Amino acid sequence: MIDRTLLRHIDWILVFLLLLNSLIGVAFIYSSSHYLPGNYHMRQLFWIGVSLIALFLFLSIDYHHLLALSPYFYGVCLLLLVGVLVFGSIVSGAKSWFRLPFFQIQPSEITKIAVILVLASFFSKFRRNTLSFVEGMMSAGIVLLPAALVTMQPDLGTALSYMPILLATMLLAGLGRRMVILILAVSLILGVVGWNFMLKDYQKQRITTLLYPDQDPLGSGYQIMQSKIAVGSGGLFGKGFKKGTQSQLRFLPARHTDFVFSVIGEEVGFTGIILVLGAYFLLLLRLFQSVEKSRDRAGVYLCFLVAFLITSQAFINILMTVGLFPVAGIPLPLLSYGGSSLLTNYLAVSLVINVKMRRFVNI
Amino acid sequence: MRNGIYEDISLILRRARMSFLVVGVALLLLVLYLWKMQILDYKKYWEMSEANRIREVILPPQRGLIKDRRGKVLATNIAAFQAAVVREESLNLEDSYLQITELLEMDAEVIRERVEKYRSFPVFHPIIIKDNLDDEEVAKIESRRREFPELIVQAKPKRSYPNATFAAHVLGYLQEISPQEIRQGTFGGRGLGDLVGRTGIEREYDSELVGASGRDLEIVESTGRYKETILREVPVDGVDIQLTLDSRLQAKAEEILEGREGAVVVMDTRNGQVLALASFPTFDPNKFINRFTPEEWMDLINNPSHPLENRAMRGLYSPGSIFKLVMALAALETNLITEHTSYYCSGSIRIYNHPFHCWFAGGHGQMDLPQAIRNSCNIYFYQLGKQLGIETIAEYARKLGLGELTSIDLKGEYAGLVPDRDWKRRVRNAPWYPGETISVSIGQGPLLVTPLQIATMTATLANRGNRVQPHLLLEEDERLSLQSSTGIGVSSANIEKVIQGMWMSVNEAGAARAARVVGMDVCGTTGSTQLVSRKTAEKLGESRRETKTHSWFTGFAPRTDSRVAVTVIVEYGGMGGATAAPVARELFRLYQELLNHD
Repeated sequence: MIDRTLLRHIDWILVFLLLLNSLIGVAFIYSSSHYLPGNYHMRQLFWIGVSLIALFLFLSIDYHHLLALSPYFYGVCLLLLVGVLVFGSIVSGAKSWFRLPFFQIQPSEITKIAVILVLASFFSKFRRNTLSFVEGMMSAGIVLLPAALVTMQPDLGTALSYMPILLATMLLAGLGRRMVILILAVSLILGVVGWNFMLKDYQKQRITTLLYPDQDPLGSGYQIMQSKIAVGSGGLFGKGFKKGTQSQLRFLPARHTDFVFSVIGEEVGFTGIILVLGAYFLLLLRLFQSVEKSRDRAGVYLCFLVAFLITSQAFINILMTVGLFPVAGIPLPLLSYGGSSLLTNYLAVSLVINVKMRRFVNI
Repeated sequence: MRNGIYEDISLILRRARMSFLVVGVALLLLVLYLWKMQILDYKKYWEMSEANRIREVILPPQRGLIKDRRGKVLATNIAAFQAAVVREESLNLEDSYLQITELLEMDAEVIRERVEKYRSFPVFHPIIIKDNLDDEEVAKIESRRREFPELIVQAKPKRSYPNATFAAHVLGYLQEISPQEIRQGTFGGRGLGDLVGRTGIEREYDSELVGASGRDLEIVESTGRYKETILREVPVDGVDIQLTLDSRLQAKAEEILEGREGAVVVMDTRNGQVLALASFPTFDPNKFINRFTPEEWMDLINNPSHPLENRAMRGLYSPGSIFKLVMALAALETNLITEHTSYYCSGSIRIYNHPFHCWFAGGHGQMDLPQAIRNSCNIYFYQLGKQLGIETIAEYARKLGLGELTSIDLKGEYAGLVPDRDWKRRVRNAPWYPGETISVSIGQGPLLVTPLQIATMTATLANRGNRVQPHLLLEEDERLSLQSSTGIGVSSANIEKVIQGMWMSVNEAGAARAARVVGMDVCGTTGSTQLVSRKTAEKLGESRRETKTHSWFTGFAPRTDSRVAVTVIVEYGGMGGATAAPVARELFRLYQELLNHD
C-alpha cells in the first residue's frame, strides 16, 4: 500500500511533461494517419491511458523490492523473447510480436525495463572507481543476451537500442583506460565480423545508403530522401497542421511510427520543431535532474539508465529522419505510435518517480 | 539502515552530470543541423517537394495458364483495358464524376459508389471504374488526357477460355471476391475488385494460379508528364497448371452429351488420372469475366437443369443395376455363394409377402453368378440381398468407395449415401425394414452415388482390388505414385469372378453388349434407375419424361492389364444398354484409336 506522505512526493511535473509529450505525439499521429483506416490516434490515446495506470500501479512497489525481484523479471523476459521466436507473428518481416485478440505486444520493448533493473541491482553493491574486466563482461552479458535474441527475430534496430543501456552503465561505473581500449577492440572485431557474416543484405544497404544516398533512390535511400525533403520543405513555419502535402511521405510505411518526426518537421517547420524539442528537452532535463535526487547508488543507476535510454532512442530516431543515421526502425519515444514502446517508456519513467518519491523514507 | 543516504555517491553523480552536458551539446548541434535543413536549404527541399508528384501504376500478374495433358491451352489471358480514377489529380471529385459520366456514358452514381468503396486507399491509388473498355473508349480517354488528368487507362490481363464451354466444369469460373471473403481472409491478401476462382480448378489451385501484382511508382511533373520511375515492384506471374485431361476424349464426351443431361468420366485405371470429365448442360465461364446481363444471369441460375452444377461429382443418382457388382462381391467375400451358385428367375418373386419384379418379365430361368451379372437379373440379387442383410451390403459398398468422398482435387464434391440401420434411425428416426434391403440389392432405395464414385469403383475393380486416387493435376502423379494404389482388402480371385460377368455382359450379348469394341476386351455393366414406380409410370403414360429411367454404364478395358475406365450417365435416357452403353463404346473406341496413334 502507498503511504499518503509518499503520494505527496510523486514528481507531478514529470508526470505532466510525460503526458504533454505523449499528447503532442497523438496530434501528429492523427495528422499523418487520419485518412487511413485504423484510428491510430484513438488507439494511442487508449495506450496512454493504459500506460498511465500501469505507471501508478508500478509506483506502489518500492524499487528496492523490484531490484530484488529483477533476476526473475529478466528470466521471464528472456523466456518471452525465446517464445516470440517460436510462436510470434511476423510483422514487416520480423518475428517480434505476440498477437492477442485486440492488439499485439512486442516483448523486446518491455525487456529494456528488466535489463535496467538487473544492471541497477548489480551495480548497487559496486563501490570502486572503475569497472574491472570481469564486471564489464558481466554487464555486457546482461545486455547482449536479450539483444542477441532480438537480433534473431530479426529486429536489429531494437537490438541496437539496448546498447545505450550498456554504454550508460559503463559511463557511470567508470571506465579505466584499459577497458576503453578493450571495448574499442571488441567493437571493431564485432563490426568486421558482423558486416561480413551477420548483417542481412538490406541492412548493409541501409548503411551504405546513408553514405551514398544517390546510389539507392529506390529502396531505403528513397525513404531517407523523402524524409529529408519533408523536413527541409517545412521551412521556418511549416506547411500547417494536417497540410503536409509532401505526398511522397505517404510512401513511408512508418510515417506515424518511426517517421513521425518528419511529419512534425514538414507541418510545423523550424519554429514548431523548436517548441516540440523544447518540451522534449524539459522532460529529459527533469529525468537527468532526478539522478541527483536519489538516496542510494541503485537509485542513481535507475534514473540515469532510464534518462539515457530515452535520450539515446530519441537521438537515433531523429538522426535517422534527417538522414544522419541508418534507417533502424527505432521509434521516437512518446511521440511515435506504438503501444509496447509507450508502455515501456511510461514504466521506465515510473522507475524514476519511484526512486524520487522514496528518497526521504527510512527503511 | 541499509545503504542509506550516507553512502558516498558523489563520484557517479558527477559522471551523470557530465553525460548530460554531452546530451545538451548534441541537442544544440541537432538544432543547428535542422536550421541548416529548414532555413538555409529550405528552397532546395521545397522545390524538390513541389516538383515531385508521384503516380502509382499497378502491374497486374498474369494468371497461370491451364493446359491439358498434351499442352493444349484451356484457360489463358488476353489484354483488356480499364478506366480508373486517381483522386489526387482531381480538383473537384463531383465535377469529375459528371465529366466522366459524359465521356464514358456511365451513371455518375455508379462512379461515385465505386470511388467511395476505396475511400481509405491513398489518394494516388487508381480506382477502377469501368472494365473491358472498347477501342473507342480508350481513344477518347487518351486524347483528353490533359483535360482529365484524373482519368487514366490501365491495361490488365483478362482471363479467357478460348474454347468457351469446353471442360467448363473442370476449369470452373472466376468471380469478384466478396466483402465477406476479404474479411475472413479466404483468399489471402486479395482485396476489392479482385477476381478469385469460384469453382473447379480455378478454385482448387487459385493460390498457385494467382501470382502477385507489382507496382511502379512514377514521378510525374505537375503537367502530368512522366519523368522517372522511382520504385518498381515486379509482378510475379501465377504458376501454369497442366491437367490430366485429354482434350480429344473430353471433346468426344461433350459432343456425345450435347443436348442431353448427364455426365461422363473417363479415368486411367493405372494411376487415377482423369482423362475426361464432362457434365451437361454446361455454361461459358467467359461470361463471368465479361459480366452477365441481368437476364442472362437469371436464366442461368433459374435454369431447371442447373448448368452450373458439375454432375460428375455433385450429381446424386441411384446406382441401379451397377450396384449388383457390389452385391456379387459381398456375397462371394462372405462365402454366401460361389460363382457356381445358381438361382431361378421366373420374372418375379414374393419376399416378405410382397412381389418384387425382374426387369425381364418373362424371367431368365436358372443361372449362376456370371450369368446373373450378364443378364443383370434382379431376382438373383434380391435373393443375395435377403441373405446378406443391409449391414454387410453397406460394409462392401463403403469398401468400394461409395458413400465417401473420392478426394479428387476439385472442391464441392458430394459423398452420396450408403444407407444402414444407424443412418435410418439417425436421419429418419425409424427402424430399417427388411423390404428396403431388397430395394437396395438392385441399387434402388435411399442409396445415392456420384458418377465419379462409380468411375473410381470401376478402376478399383479393374485393378483387382487396388484403389487409385482420382486426380486432375498432372504433377500430382509423382507424389501419388509414391503411395501408389492401396488395397481395399478384397480378394482378387473374387473380383475376377465379378469381372467374368462384366465381360460376358459386353461380349456375350449381355445387357451391356452395345459397349463392345472389337479388339478392346471391354468389361462393363449397365444400370437403369427407376424414378417412379412401375404403376405410377403406367398412370402417367409414355409422354412424361419422369417415366423414363436414368441410363447408366460403367466399364473398363482391356480385361487384363486394364488401362481405362469409362462411366456414363444420361438422365432420362431410358435403358442403360440402349443409351449409356453406346456412348461408352464411342469413348472406348476413341481411346483405342488414340493409343494406336500416339
